Amino acid sequence: MSERPKDGFAVVGTSVRKVDGVGLVTGKPMFVADLQLPDTLHVKILGSPLAHARIRSIDTREAESMPGVACVLTHENTPSVRHTTAGQGFPEPSPYDSRMFDPKVRFVGDRVAAVAAETELAAIEAIKRIHVEYEELPPVLSMDEALAPGAPVIHDEKDSTGIYDAARNIVADVDIDVGDIEEGFAESDLIVETTTETQYAQHTPIETHVVLSYLDSEERLVLRTSTQVPFHVRRIIAQALEIPIHRIRVIKPRVGGGFGTKQEVLLEDLAGYVTLKTGRPALLSLTRSEEFIASRTRHPMRVRVKIGAKNDGTLHAIEMEALSNTGAYGSHGLTVLSNAGSKTLPLYNKAENAHFFGQALYTNLPVPGAYRGYGATQGYFALETAMDELAEKLDLDPVELRRRNHIRVHEGSPIFAKLGEGREGVSQTVKSCELARCIEIGAEKIGWAAKRGARVTDGPWVHGVGMSIMMQGSGIPEIDMGAATLKMNEDGSFNLLIGATDIGTGSDTILGQIAAEVLGVPIDKMIVTSSDTDTTPFDVGAYASSTTYVSGMAVQRAAETVRDQIAQVAAPLLKAEAETLVIKDEHVVAPDGSRVSLARVCERAMYESDQFQIGATESCVPVESPPPFLANFAEVAVDTETGRLRLLHYVAAVDCGVAINPKMAEGQMEGALVNGIGYALTEEMQLSSRGRVRNPSLFDYKIPCSLDLPRLDVVLVDSYEPTGPMGAKSVGEIGINGPIPTIANAIYDAVGIRLTETPFTPERILEALQKKGAASRDAL
Amino acid sequence: MKIGLTINGQNQAFEATPGESLLDVLRRNGYIDVKKGCGTGDCGACAVLFNGRAVNSCLILAAKANGAEVLTVAGLAPAGELHPIQQAFLDEGAVQCGYCTPGMVISAYDLLSRNNDPTDEEIQEAIAGNLCRCTGYVKQVDAIRKAGAIMRGEANE
Amino acid sequence: MALEHVKAVIRPSGLDQAWEEKQKLGRQARFLGGGVDLAVFAPSSIEALIDLRDLGLSTIAFDEGEMIIGATATMAEIMESPEAGRCGGGLLVDVLRQVASPLQRNIATFGGTLGSAHPWSDVIPALLVLDARIGVFDGAARVVSTEEYLAGRRERMAPLVTSVRIPSEPALGASFITFGRSAFDVGILNCACAVAQEEDRLKRVRIAVGGTPALARRLKRTEQAIEGSSLDSIPFTEIDPTVADEIDVRDDRRASAAYRRTLACVAVRRGIQKAVERMNGGRT
Repeated sequence: MSERPKDGFAVVGTSVRKVDGVGLVTGKPMFVADLQLPDTLHVKILGSPLAHARIRSIDTREAESMPGVACVLTHENTPSVRHTTAGQGFPEPSPYDSRMFDPKVRFVGDRVAAVAAETELAAIEAIKRIHVEYEELPPVLSMDEALAPGAPVIHDEKDSTGIYDAARNIVADVDIDVGDIEEGFAESDLIVETTTETQYAQHTPIETHVVLSYLDSEERLVLRTSTQVPFHVRRIIAQALEIPIHRIRVIKPRVGGGFGTKQEVLLEDLAGYVTLKTGRPALLSLTRSEEFIASRTRHPMRVRVKIGAKNDGTLHAIEMEALSNTGAYGSHGLTVLSNAGSKTLPLYNKAENAHFFGQALYTNLPVPGAYRGYGATQGYFALETAMDELAEKLDLDPVELRRRNHIRVHEGSPIFAKLGEGREGVSQTVKSCELARCIEIGAEKIGWAAKRGARVTDGPWVHGVGMSIMMQGSGIPEIDMGAATLKMNEDGSFNLLIGATDIGTGSDTILGQIAAEVLGVPIDKMIVTSSDTDTTPFDVGAYASSTTYVSGMAVQRAAETVRDQIAQVAAPLLKAEAETLVIKDEHVVAPDGSRVSLARVCERAMYESDQFQIGATESCVPVESPPPFLANFAEVAVDTETGRLRLLHYVAAVDCGVAINPKMAEGQMEGALVNGIGYALTEEMQLSSRGRVRNPSLFDYKIPCSLDLPRLDVVLVDSYEPTGPMGAKSVGEIGINGPIPTIANAIYDAVGIRLTETPFTPERILEALQKKGAASRDAL
Repeated sequence: MKIGLTINGQNQAFEATPGESLLDVLRRNGYIDVKKGCGTGDCGACAVLFNGRAVNSCLILAAKANGAEVLTVAGLAPAGELHPIQQAFLDEGAVQCGYCTPGMVISAYDLLSRNNDPTDEEIQEAIAGNLCRCTGYVKQVDAIRKAGAIMRGEANE
Repeated sequence: MALEHVKAVIRPSGLDQAWEEKQKLGRQARFLGGGVDLAVFAPSSIEALIDLRDLGLSTIAFDEGEMIIGATATMAEIMESPEAGRCGGGLLVDVLRQVASPLQRNIATFGGTLGSAHPWSDVIPALLVLDARIGVFDGAARVVSTEEYLAGRRERMAPLVTSVRIPSEPALGASFITFGRSAFDVGILNCACAVAQEEDRLKRVRIAVGGTPALARRLKRTEQAIEGSSLDSIPFTEIDPTVADEIDVRDDRRASAAYRRTLACVAVRRGIQKAVERMNGGRT
């Protein structure tokens, strides 16, 4: 546990330039496909045209004879090991239900075959000449269909494991309770209940999934891949290709966006196998259309929340039931389902009785996976809508209802222990919480008091304001592990080697800042290398908002160990006790003011006396997951003649602990919010009646562009987490949870309609307005 | 066919099929600072300056590119130096994953070379064809505003 | 990847030659102007490109009360030309600002827009309400109305567009609205309106609605219902059924027919109101 330093920070808390920034703005070759190796084969995948079918036969002879074709792969000539594609810690809490190629296909776009050829064009021509006979099976195209008695069984194979009840298409089942929920409702004065549904949405990173595999000079398999989870890739590829871990190297260069879709071992098995089989480099990258159809998506969820409260506005019982569509394969199915409850219910710890239950179901539809927010996003829609409905019933300001009920510092929630990532969680108390201040700042900035209920009109436009609050987590306690290695150079600079995975989030930079802070150097004396399984120590990777809190603590510990070594070397030079020395401005300083440069210290240790490499490796396994907190406020205007919505102003006041790099923390919030706004208003993967994605392009799937921004105010509220490195928590995910409930609540304030299905399209808004108008006419 | 181009001031001649995209021709010949995000003109990651105007290089057929002058992000400043737009992007935190950055910088360059004092609305319009999933555009607009100030001589680099 | 079979690129130096080449090669050949639609939509069976760059079709001029826009002038060039602001009550600039993205506007041309006539086109409704005429060449040079061109382009050998001619009409009031899901999106409906006045009555009423998802066309019965009305008593409520009946709407991925009908009525009313406000050079 630590406290804020009295003199403040030297490097932490400053918005230094990204350590990889110059290369990115000048277009240096930094992404996977920027490395072009001679003799590279191009790999193309044949995807299934059917949502559910057995492959009766595949005839690849014509394809194999096409010019430039090196090999054609199917389920008949590739390894058949069942594994999960989910990049999670071992043992993964996702079923082992995937294989490289399957004799069954389970969604439109599922892998049927692949071709590796001299050119992309040659591969495409060969793909067209693979002849497949399918035995079509009835598809399951919705959660309700999956649950219906007698539904087709999607995973009827004998060799999959970890599925809760394959015969009923149930990947996962969760049921936890606190207190006595039925009694809780019986004791409540008021009850509200609401059900929300969220749609198929996608991350759309601007760089699609891509991997370049090749053999190094010792013929080890090297996977240069756009991933969030290099170490999980290594382990799962070893499993899937049946080769030892030590014969694989995974390198993550720069990644063009992940947001969860690259927390997946999606393509590396195929590219790796091509390289092993042919000895040649293999490049496999998804087209934008394939990215939509056959990578990963958000889990569509139906969530029911029932809240019982006392007349004084205290919550007494909360029940959340979640039904999650996990698509054709169960990757992240259990854990996203669990997070819908584990990251939401503790927020309102005043409710003594709580019940969370739900299931994740297979369907013959595109495959959801990890996506920023990870279940909390879907859960908060229902929860914060129900809270707003409760406020109305109680005739209480929604802000006041939140104030009375949210978790506070030194408090815990029994949910923390009961509900973790697919298993029991870890008990904790909150040690930093500035949520009250977040709410205060947000309400003031949006003009809550004046605008709420005012319904200012401007022609056909009616204005409204809405709000919501939320928490997330910082890493997965007792499961995640990150490590860092530091070594010193004789000019007083350091190499920081970290497994932690920068996917554009800037983790290389902020982890460098933490080390630089401890070691008294400016950021440019900290050379950061990350995410190479041969040269950097282990890290679970970029997910669960773990990097700052978990990897950052490993970095801090390593830096502290190195600082102690430096002091030991410097002590005789300064004729002082090592414990009395401090490092400041690249010098070791004694109490009497005499000092020696870091360069001098390392020179001595490297060349002169009792030589050793000043350096250390330290790890961190967190024992808790301190939540960041967020208060969102939005002003909207609704055009009552067309249902069109204008998002005018969005305020997000966030407590992420100390922001190691304020501009980067703001950037994480801004990006997450705008993504959440798209998820709320315009994004929707549309499926045909046969389970095919109808709009697999950025032309037809609309993500926000620069002209879609409201006035956006992100406020980093001052806070300090005593268990976090330099007082930090996390900020990577929480922002994306805000827009859906906040905008829904603002729409209600403006025009009195409750939308419970995303996205909030103008057509849906108008239809609800018309229904409401008809209802009030009927009532007259 | 052989197409002749001037790229970043250098005369080049490349083999190309007439119907392939300038994007593919550029990347195949080592100009990997031009990124591919969709191939259909929807994301702007592939933007280059083409005869002085920012365009999606995935929408320019090789036949049309024959004889053109192209500028990519790597050609904005001499080696070892940064153009004010590039500096401003770094200082304002406008680069996260960096994949949309080359195309974004090119659009900004097109705008500022014809109007170095744009309003925020004009900036947002100029980059409307460059999709970004990381930043929410806020700091990119800040960076372009700042770059304009530097180019007008009103701010320090 | 679409056009991997193109083998020949022809650069004719005159319209006659360009047309002859097209006649000779037939459907295997396409004219190359901006090339946006070729890059995105053309079938891979195309084997020849007829490059239009040497035909002098990219100028923008003003001549005898008409703005003459060359078929291969880019949309950006059109937007920035001084003539565009003077033309059709400034409608052209309004529309072009909302078309595609700045990157695409630096490549796309009116020739391409008319040649492809995508049903979501925002430019075509504008041309319809501005009484634009299309210069074409099919062995001989002709000038036809926009509607005539659109009807004719479905024929076997559609003529080559050489220019778009927009009468100046400074007293015109015009407006354009498109309802896209995001700002960089085609509309689920678009609506262009243009009006002029005589004494205090509306005349020369033009209304074109498109993206329904059908291509824009004029709502002539609705126009007639408004034509001649006094400026302060335009019968908006009365025309709703006519609008709803005249437009060609269908359900599609983006919106339902029912919603589009509602939207169209609102769009026409607001479009005419705005066009009236802008008459005689008044800008809002």
